[in-house]
Amino acid sequence: MTHARWQRQLSAYVDGELTPHEAEEVQAHLAQCESCRAELDRLQSLKSLLGRLPERPVPETLWTSIRAQLDRPQQSWIALVEQWLRGVVRRPALAAAALALVAVLVAIPLVRGRLERLRAAELGPELYIREHALASASDPFLDRAYLGLLISDAGLALVGAPREETKESR
Amino acid sequence: MMRRLIPVVWLATALAIPGLRVGASASLPSARDVVASMVAAPALVDYEATKVLTAVHEDRAETVTVLESYKRLGRLRLEFLSPESVSGRLVIDDGVSVWQYEPSQHLVIHGPSFVHTAEGPERVEEFLRSALIAVLGTEEVIGRQTVALAMETRDAGPSRRYWVDRETGVILRTEERDARGEIVFTSFFTRISFGLNLPSALFRFTPPSGARAIDLYESGDPVSSPEALQQASGVWVPPTLPFGYRFRAGAVVHHGALTSTSASYTDGVRTLTVFLTPSSRMAFPQVGVPVQMDAGAARLLDVGYFRVLMWQVGSTTFALAATLSPSRLLLVARALAPRQ
Repeated sequence: MTHARWQRQLSAYVDGELTPHEAEEVQAHLAQCESCRAELDRLQSLKSLLGRLPERPVPETLWTSIRAQLDRPQQSWIALVEQWLRGVVRRPALAAAALALVAVLVAIPLVRGRLERLRAAELGPELYIREHALASASDPFLDRAYLGLLISDAGLALVGAPREETKESR
Repeated sequence: MMRRLIPVVWLATALAIPGLRVGASASLPSARDVVASMVAAPALVDYEATKVLTAVHEDRAETVTVLESYKRLGRLRLEFLSPESVSGRLVIDDGVSVWQYEPSQHLVIHGPSFVHTAEGPERVEEFLRSALIAVLGTEEVIGRQTVALAMETRDAGPSRRYWVDRETGVILRTEERDARGEIVFTSFFTRISFGLNLPSALFRFTPPSGARAIDLYESGDPVSSPEALQQASGVWVPPTLPFGYRFRAGAVVHHGALTSTSASYTDGVRTLTVFLTPSSRMAFPQVGVPVQMDAGAARLLDVGYFRVLMWQVGSTTFALAATLSPSRLLLVARALAPRQ
């Protein structure tokens, strides 16, 4: 057993919590170890000091309050919602703001999706024109300059800068 | 019997073009030779030229003038001169990617190349198989001898005429007519200089300082079969469509939150593209003019060179882009219906 562990055993020895065999082992060690004897003296004086302290009575209300907490039933989620609703009634402006925030958070993806679909409806035909013109390039007798014009016009429209005439004519 | 007569009738009609010197037919090259020279031209010559383009959008025509420079193999520089709305626009395609500079916005857009380099003899054969091609005669265009060539797909839809430089195979003038014979697009050079061996620096783009730059690469990796496209996007498209269109490539296209599946088809000459977009991602577009379809309301957008038909079925918005007439687009749209 290490010295540190002997010192931890001393507290139990002072309190009389060791088995007779363990107590004998501690006593044998104390006979050889000066620092443990000093520690034993310190613990015994501390114990006698604590024993001289006066006893204070427990307040009578303590148990009553503990009992009341134990007897109170668990609050259900319905009760929590009711409690929240009561709060809403008391602070309607705050509740309205919270609801508006939730509505905005739900609406953002829906609106964004709808806008993206509408934007795609504008860009889709340009994408078709560009991809078809690129596919048509396999015909070696097609006019390259006109293909270049179609592809470049559609490219501009796809990046959001359509040529004015092209837009007007469609 | 009627099918056999179509090429004969078409050729007789095509030849009835005033101004062509058909009498010189003894010295005329064959359609195969002319097509071969057109296909080979991008690998053989550089040029620097001024071109005028006119496209008809519904009842309105727009004319655009552009300085066009081309360098072997597949490098193109376009400087738009007029109208004012495009004046100053610069487009440089180095064969790998394209750079567009818009001076009015001080904006640079970078995207995939649209210039293909010269193709092999198999492409010539594909053209000859897929289209009715006839040499109409010879004509002088901006002081150069050209061979006039008529090309029409076998469904008797829109037709094209080319005036091909006899020496170089470069197309000096183009006309596209709709199924009714009305001209919907023309382009011609007002001057051209060949064989200049143009400096490479002309085809390198240097972003102007302080310009905003945006990358526009929207297409995912292309797939080469409808099955692979279905695997990539969960969307089914047919392997073939009316008027001889067959599946060529597909991809999933993204632009911001907008996602669409595209499938391009070819009849051997022209391209038709089908787009399928979830309606949850895109409201129905309101551009173009309303048209009525079996599936309900649809919109038709006339871009000038081609048209885009859009309609909605269930939770999907369909779009068809092609040079076909509106009635033919509606027929193709109907062919997409059974599996919708």
